[in-house]
Amino acid sequence: MARPASRATPLGVPLGVPLGAPLGVPLAPPHASVIHRWQRGVSVREVPLVTPWFLLFAGFFVVGTAIAAFRLFGGSLASFAAMTDVYAWGVWKTFNVMALTALGSSALAVGLAAWVLGRHRLHSVMRTALVTSFLFYTTALLGLLTDVGRPWNFWNLRLPWRWNTESALWEVALAMPVYCALFLLYENGPMVVEKLWNARSDRVRGWVRTWHPRIRKTYPFVVPFAYVLPIIHQSSLGGLMVLAGHKVHPLWQTDLLPLLYLVQALICGFGSVIVVLMTSCLVWRRPLDVKVLGELANLMSWTTLGWLVLRLGDVVVRGRVGDALAMDAFGVLFLAETAAVAVPALVLRSAHLRETPRALYTMALLACLGGIAYRFIPTTLAYAPGAGSTYFPAVPEIVITLGLVATVVGAFSLVVKRFAVLPAPLESWHHAVEHDSHAHPSHRSDAHGHAVHD
Amino acid sequence: MILLSRRHLLRTVGTGLSTAAVGGAAAVAAAPAALAAPRTAPADAVGMLYDTTKCIGCKACVAECAKVNDLVPDTELSGGLWQMPADLNTQTKNIIKLWADPATGQTSFVKRQCMHCVDPACVSGCPFNALQKGALGIVGWDGARCIGCRYCEVSCPFEIPKFEWKKFNPKIVKCELCRHVLDRDGQPGCTRVCPTGAVVFGRRTDLLADAKARVAAHPGTYHLDHVYGETEAGGTQVLYLSHVPFEKLGLPALPDRSVPTGLRHGGVALKLIALPVVLYGVFLGFFRRNWKVHEEEAARLKAEKGLEEQL
Amino acid sequence: MTYAETGSIGDALLRSGVSRRVLLEFAGKLMVAAPAGLALAAQWSPEAVAEEIAKARRPSVIWLHFQDCTGCTETLLRASKPDLGDLILNLISLDYHETVMAASGKQAEAALRDAMTQNAGKYICVVEGSIPTKDQGIYMKLAGRPALEVLADVAGKAAAVIAIGSCASWGGVPSAGINPTGAVGVDALLKDKPIVNVPGCPPNPYTFLGVVLQYATAGTLPALDAEKRPLFAFDRYIHDHCPRRAHFDAGRFARQFGDEGHRHGYCLYPLGCKGPITHAGCSTRHFNELPEVWPIGIGAPCVGCTERNVAFKIPIFETSAVPAPTPSAQYPEIRPETGTVSAVATGIVGAVVGALAGAAYVASKRFSKVAGDEAVPGAPAGDGGKGGKGV
Repeated sequence: MARPASRATPLGVPLGVPLGAPLGVPLAPPHASVIHRWQRGVSVREVPLVTPWFLLFAGFFVVGTAIAAFRLFGGSLASFAAMTDVYAWGVWKTFNVMALTALGSSALAVGLAAWVLGRHRLHSVMRTALVTSFLFYTTALLGLLTDVGRPWNFWNLRLPWRWNTESALWEVALAMPVYCALFLLYENGPMVVEKLWNARSDRVRGWVRTWHPRIRKTYPFVVPFAYVLPIIHQSSLGGLMVLAGHKVHPLWQTDLLPLLYLVQALICGFGSVIVVLMTSCLVWRRPLDVKVLGELANLMSWTTLGWLVLRLGDVVVRGRVGDALAMDAFGVLFLAETAAVAVPALVLRSAHLRETPRALYTMALLACLGGIAYRFIPTTLAYAPGAGSTYFPAVPEIVITLGLVATVVGAFSLVVKRFAVLPAPLESWHHAVEHDSHAHPSHRSDAHGHAVHD
Repeated sequence: MILLSRRHLLRTVGTGLSTAAVGGAAAVAAAPAALAAPRTAPADAVGMLYDTTKCIGCKACVAECAKVNDLVPDTELSGGLWQMPADLNTQTKNIIKLWADPATGQTSFVKRQCMHCVDPACVSGCPFNALQKGALGIVGWDGARCIGCRYCEVSCPFEIPKFEWKKFNPKIVKCELCRHVLDRDGQPGCTRVCPTGAVVFGRRTDLLADAKARVAAHPGTYHLDHVYGETEAGGTQVLYLSHVPFEKLGLPALPDRSVPTGLRHGGVALKLIALPVVLYGVFLGFFRRNWKVHEEEAARLKAEKGLEEQL
Repeated sequence: MTYAETGSIGDALLRSGVSRRVLLEFAGKLMVAAPAGLALAAQWSPEAVAEEIAKARRPSVIWLHFQDCTGCTETLLRASKPDLGDLILNLISLDYHETVMAASGKQAEAALRDAMTQNAGKYICVVEGSIPTKDQGIYMKLAGRPALEVLADVAGKAAAVIAIGSCASWGGVPSAGINPTGAVGVDALLKDKPIVNVPGCPPNPYTFLGVVLQYATAGTLPALDAEKRPLFAFDRYIHDHCPRRAHFDAGRFARQFGDEGHRHGYCLYPLGCKGPITHAGCSTRHFNELPEVWPIGIGAPCVGCTERNVAFKIPIFETSAVPAPTPSAQYPEIRPETGTVSAVATGIVGAVVGALAGAAYVASKRFSKVAGDEAVPGAPAGDGGKGGKGV
């Protein structure tokens, strides 16, 4: 393929200012050939589609859906939720939407790192990040649908003259479904197309051959939207609690909430993809790639340090250090949450530990925990202190939430078994192709094991 | 591999950007951001002035409010005998509460209902303008637009809006200054029946002047000589005079800055048009550079190993 | 003939032929009129009270009229069960009373002098009407002597003084407005005599009789408040014992005479009822021996006739302040508590969190502690666990 010679450099690094230099972060070498373990996504074949664990998750999904459906057919929110007028937002808006979509920001985090910052090594985990994000977002939106009291008025979304553009919740209500239904779906498209390409039907392959290049052409122009949109709505999720004013404890309430929530989403995005990858390797017996994981951990650590500067600086500037050290319930909560976020960041500054699986896993878990704690606390635990009222989700609320989370896990396990998502060494790809050709003898494969097309 | 000439690139990007900008601007311009927040009280803003030194706790206002607004009185606590709400709720838009200090024997009544803020947090947060600041500055609810998200409950600093949790078709219930009968009666039900004139209705400017006159005429009577609602949370159209500290009556100490101000740094045009466009442009720029590298990788992969790229 | 005969009340009743049933009826009425605070009435039964009364000596009572309307006498006369003749004149020895005594002129003056001499130091002086003090008290003269002088003379030799009615208690109607005659009550003039004020315009006759009989039976006066009013009748505001209080609490008012609220018997507060600031027992001891015959009961707002700072000072139709010494417990709190925490839910969450934490711990143990180890996690030593079965 011809390329203007003047544009080529020995290492293939893009022209211009080294991208990472202003950050003081060493550039990652871009070539995939440097990666020696995780080369491409490979579907999980060794395990049947339906296992006892899957049935457990599916069971939670069914029960949760049944309870939620009851609301849509003549029920009321009071019949299965413990929310009151003091705690008007229970556990779905706050946990499933505000907290879990942070874990679902791995598409944003890994995407920005891979495509904007040029960390090409991370392409191998891109699909995992995308699938995780899609599932977390979908379940968050399902939770949102269960939570609203008058869902039949959602059609107001299609009437721009009724929009309140000042409202952070409007931004979220508009941007999240658009992001999930359009852009995340779009970004998850290639793995579906890949599977279609390996299908038996010639007509399907013909369709793919026509449309795939066209879709591919649009890719660089569409995907940046998929970064702009979550930046907007993740920061709007933070903006939501700004309107609660003095009802949120001063240790958390700040005009900086949108920015803090956004950066925390990035942190959780990195953290969640590390946890998902490593747990998947553990469960489905795949080898790890500490270089990739270490890079993710490095990015997570630096982002966290930046976040800590903002967070702690904000607390100091607003004169709330006394509250932080007060040793009352809120002070202790603040210290615990900050520690949960800070400890992984500091531990993962060590290059040695960044390549130690156990350290990676535990620190990523802790970072996710601290991150979702930070996003969850202002909505419930630090909300309306001294109101004299209490709130704890009712059993149906909890079951629905568990159902939503179980859906993520169960659906993820289904997807990775049928699509090439989880990264693996190249040999695994070849094994998978062989397995495929034995299962479907009508497939025609060439010497490389790749399906032959005309 | 896709190779784009510079001209092609500029044209595509330019078209894309300008389309985005125009589309975004159109959408945002069409959306009535102006409905969201007046910053100062309208000239004809009406409200109420409540004076704790005059209230005798007779609760005529509570009874009348239920009558005028066609609410079924809440008799749950009394076993079905008397209207006895424990707090504002979906059957009670207006309530009289009692504060008593057992140590000193000091007591005060307080009337609670929507404060009809000058710059309401609920109006700012409502996604589809179901809560709007309408004629005379009255904050009203429109069921055709409400999705029942309860953001108004979360954002109200006075915890006023109530949600019908137990209904299949739940509404948001709060005082609307009897706007549906204001033309007929000239004032809301509560002010009409108050026997002592503890709560009166009128133009906010007049009420504020009246309140200040009372403070001046009775030095030492009113707590801190302060009219609550003059500046709290950007000002409210319901004003309070009290002989005991306001916090004791459940009226929180609030800064003069209105609640939605915290979200207004930069304005809608910046947040929804300029920023996304700039971000998009920046991301696109970097993306395209890395896309080139990706293309090279994909080509190499195909040539060396015969494998297609995985996006 | 004077009434100053000694002997017990029981003897007097016997002589007059008053049946025991009438006395019992009166005893019962007295118990109702003074449920607490009057030792005489604090007996087990009307029989016991009647016996106490019958044993006592008839107290000698000298009744003075000054600037009065005779209403307080009338209130006594209005009692019909028993009536004045049957009972009251047998309960007390009314030695001098200008309205009911047969004598007049010089005979009346003689009766007064005789009564004072024969029962000096033992009679009760009842004063009805206020005493003018301006211009040496010339505005009321009895037999040529100013009221000031008469009071000092008669009360000076009395055992105790009962000021019946608001006029005698604190000045009443004559003291209204600019008080042209300088009218004052008895306790403004007498400083060294036990005085009981029984204000009201007019007061309830049973209150008066209770005080007198207490003195007759036990020789003591009932407990008094700061205004020298007997606590058994004046310890509460009308408002705190009003039959219409529930209407006040529920905001049901009569706003104009004759309107629907008025006809329904709703609270008269907006019409200027001074019940909230008036101490009196009228709400439970009605007048004319008929139930609900008292001002509020017949739809007329209380004017506060017993209170020196209210009656004839605050306009009748001006709404009064409402002191609330013990507000009702039915008012909602400033911050009611809401929300329930289900133990089952807490348990479930605890179990789930525990399970996840446990799983995380177990999973983390499967990962290698060796830097750069990229082997399949949990692989060595054949530990099946989750990895073996797969998810």
